[in-house]
Amino acid sequence: MDLLTLSRLQFGMTAFYHFLFVPLTLGLAFMIAIIKTIYLKNKDERLDKLAMFLMKLFAINFAVGVATGLTMEFEFGTNWFEYSKFVGDIFGAPLAIEGLMAFFLESTFIGLFLFGKDRISDKMHTFAAWMVAIGSTLSALWILIANSWMQTPAGYKIVESEQGVKAVLTDFWEAVINHTTVFRFLHCVNAGYIVGGFFVMGIMALYILRNKNSNIAKIGLKFSLIFSVIVSLAQIIIGDIHGYQVTHGQPLKMAMMEGKWETEKGASLDLFGIINQEKHETKVLLEVPYLLSILSYHDPNAEFKGINDLIKEYKDIAQKAKEKIPLLEEKLTELEKNNASKEEIEKVKAELAMAKANAKAYDIDYKDLPSVALVFTTFHLMVYLGFYFVFLTLFGLYLLKRGKLFESKLYLWLLVLSIPLPWVSTEFGWIATEVGRQPWIVQGVMLTRDAVSFHVGTYNVLFSFIFFLTIYTLIFFVFLYAMVKAIKKGIEPEDKNQHPLNYPSAPVGNITTFSKTKERI
Amino acid sequence: MPVELFTTLEGIWFVLAGFFLVGYALTDGFDLGTGILTLFTNKDENRKILYNAVAPVWDGNEVWLIAGGGMLFAAFPIVYASAFSGFYLAILIVLWALIGRAVAFEYRNKKGSKTWRNIWDIVYWLGNFVPALLFGVAVGNAVVGVPIDQKGVYHGTFFTLLRPAPLLMGIVGVFMFLMHGTAYLLRKTEGEVFELAKKFAWISFIGFVITLIITDFILVIVAPELYSNYFKYPLFWIAPLLIIVGLILYFKNLISSNFDKVIYGSTLVSIGTVLTIAFASYPVLIRSSINPEYNLTIWNSASSHLTLTVMLIATLIFMPMVITYTIYVYRVFKGKVSSEGGYH
Ligand code: HDD
Ligand code: HEM
Ligand code: HEM
Repeated sequence: MDLLTLSRLQFGMTAFYHFLFVPLTLGLAFMIAIIKTIYLKNKDERLDKLAMFLMKLFAINFAVGVATGLTMEFEFGTNWFEYSKFVGDIFGAPLAIEGLMAFFLESTFIGLFLFGKDRISDKMHTFAAWMVAIGSTLSALWILIANSWMQTPAGYKIVESEQGVKAVLTDFWEAVINHTTVFRFLHCVNAGYIVGGFFVMGIMALYILRNKNSNIAKIGLKFSLIFSVIVSLAQIIIGDIHGYQVTHGQPLKMAMMEGKWETEKGASLDLFGIINQEKHETKVLLEVPYLLSILSYHDPNAEFKGINDLIKEYKDIAQKAKEKIPLLEEKLTELEKNNASKEEIEKVKAELAMAKANAKAYDIDYKDLPSVALVFTTFHLMVYLGFYFVFLTLFGLYLLKRGKLFESKLYLWLLVLSIPLPWVSTEFGWIATEVGRQPWIVQGVMLTRDAVSFHVGTYNVLFSFIFFLTIYTLIFFVFLYAMVKAIKKGIEPEDKNQHPLNYPSAPVGNITTFSKTKERI
Repeated sequence: MPVELFTTLEGIWFVLAGFFLVGYALTDGFDLGTGILTLFTNKDENRKILYNAVAPVWDGNEVWLIAGGGMLFAAFPIVYASAFSGFYLAILIVLWALIGRAVAFEYRNKKGSKTWRNIWDIVYWLGNFVPALLFGVAVGNAVVGVPIDQKGVYHGTFFTLLRPAPLLMGIVGVFMFLMHGTAYLLRKTEGEVFELAKKFAWISFIGFVITLIITDFILVIVAPELYSNYFKYPLFWIAPLLIIVGLILYFKNLISSNFDKVIYGSTLVSIGTVLTIAFASYPVLIRSSINPEYNLTIWNSASSHLTLTVMLIATLIFMPMVITYTIYVYRVFKGKVSSEGGYH
């Protein structure tokens, strides 16, 4: 395997892995904060116990989220040298602000939240829960700003520097709130809420089925069901708008997600299909006429651009950029000869650098496309799962209204078995997003193959990839073991002497017993 | 002192980079120091105290590294890219160690068996010792010089990094973290762990002084240019002076059993050490051993003024908030720790 493939595999694998834990952090933190807030209002002890139980599961998950997040930050520098050099001026800022604004908040208050319960008031503890939830959401915001900029770059120009060409910020807010930021953020965070909602529903259902802690479990199920109904419904609406944005910002990706090779007027939405990448065709098995045009342009007769035409279009852009280069170079020498103003020269220089980047980056062909079948399939499955979540939770709501929710064994088992599905759809969503944006690492200006740390030896990357795979696998099993053990133990331990959180003889959440005589630190 | 440090954005970002390094050395510094002691006691109870002493705060402390890394990426992207890809294996080894540390906290006590806990204790020890050593080695390499070309591409191997001078600086770093960690424990613990901390406070103090002096002599030979700033800017002498004052304070408080105050000494030593290196290197961030013209300095590697301004505003808004709530949380957890509770 070559260096590029290995680096991509390693990045994809570590990102995929990080995102097994991230959504649950987002979802659980938010749910715990809400439960604690309700508890503050009505003082129902069961809610406090539920929150403490979820907090324990949260801690197990959070540890791995932190550990694997560190990898992501390091990898930009270690494996994507050319990329980091090229975009550091823009891409580094959101990462840094994420640290300042989100990670400090989240990581400082997590200590207070996990270990401080008996040293602070209930109010303060709830506040800490909210800070953790807000911190994790803000961290998602900034990392998705960074990611969205790579998908639909804005607010920048390209300049030549001593150490090579690079992108330079010209408008901070334009770069931050680029074409796809807002809905990618909402969609992604809401996906986390779905993961959290289904996770809690499943566990509560299991307890009811097993007749364990069922008093608390019933409240927990009711709460998480209502929560899940709302976020599942919201996801369809947000997803639709998100898709609309993507059609406009990244038409090639959308064409791949929909498996459309030919441009169509009044395009149909293909529900099932078989992609033949060699022949550039999709065998459609089931379609809904006009729906795709309606969804992506809000007009049944709109033209939906296919892959074939888009590739031609991009080649055209590359050609035009190529032709512009000598003209701009001429203009530049002329300006320099005539001692034109510095601003004018800078402007032409930036145009020239952009033309050079475009000429290279848009010169793509069929061989540069990723697997269309992968993008098509993962995208479709994500959306189907989204609809499944809505139906499942609405049906639960109906059972709840009829007072049959806690008796319907079949439905409760369905909830238990559905725990992993939101994870499947979040990961599939990312695969569609990231694979679908290839061959670019920054759309239209930089190809992924030009971004790699080419001077890091292939064997180094092979070694690190294998090492990551090994420790990540080990950690995953430890994680599963701890999670299952904690869930088996239940919300309230059978042994009445033991504390719910299993802290031996210490009050809830107490990390330390302190001698109260001396004040220190 | 060179005025550019305060009048230009590049200079201000050099100061801020130093600020984040100091922040990291002062906070996660004592975590690393306490962690290194885990394998020096066999009693499970004592080891638990060592974990518990930092359990509520270590994650927030580690963010100094994460935020500092982000800052480096944003303010001096080429330095970030060049160092991280150039020191590829070394950086990943630090990363793997830190991953091990994060996970060990949460999973050590998940199972009753002794083997299970012993394995995690080893992971945890490596998770503290390896970064403590390699941070110094990395800084040492950056200031002493590594083979990078005009595009910031590194031409050495992993073993290029392990030359005597940078390695020695790594060891100085270990003793510095250990001094700070033991000082923290002298404040936070009682009984056997306290005695252990006292012993290691002495060991690390003596180790630090000796290795610092040796390193100094070696640097005079291999990298004399590192001393030129101190002739140019007399005010820079503040930094080494801080080390000396810190060492005196550390020694005095140890010997007169003022155990609560030992940490003031190690705090000054940590600040002084970081600043001494930063001042010596200024304005170079990574020295090229191929050609001084390829040095990555704050002038040729900084981001655009717009980015630096945006980041400066963000830092000025958020850093005071961070410091405020960090102090609040430390106050909540003040007092001595025991082996009870903690991560389960
Ligand atoms: C949608 C959300 C999201 C996405 C796409 C990512 N992360 Fe993440 N990250 C989080 C949401 C998050 C989080 C929920 O906020 C975590 C999980 C556990 C935690 O501490 O925070 C986190 C942890 C976390 C940490 C540890 C923070 C700490 O010690 O507290 C780092 C350094 C990163 N992430 C960095 C990244 C990078 C460089 C990513 C890009 C490839 C990335 N994350 C993708
Ligand atoms: C956390 C969830 C994420 C997952 C599961 C994920 C998944 C992936 C996958 C599977 C690839 C490989 C694509 C391919 O090689 O065809 C990839 C590439 C990439 N992603 Fe993501 N991604 C995630 C988030 C992000 C974020 C938030 C960023 C940026 C901040 C990002 C930056 C990149 C980069 C730089 C690549 C280039 C490497 C490559 O193309 O192989 N990813 N990602
Ligand atoms: C049912 C309606 C849904 C629609 C219409 C929809 C739409 C979309 C679209 C268009 C993208 C691609 C964005 C891009 O390429 O940049 C996407 C990505 C994604 N989807 Fe969905 N989605 C739906 C449901 C879900 C569900 C139920 C989940 C998870 C629980 C989910 C999780 C994700 C994630 C994590 C991404 C990648 C990050 C992002 O771009 O936001 N989606 N979705």
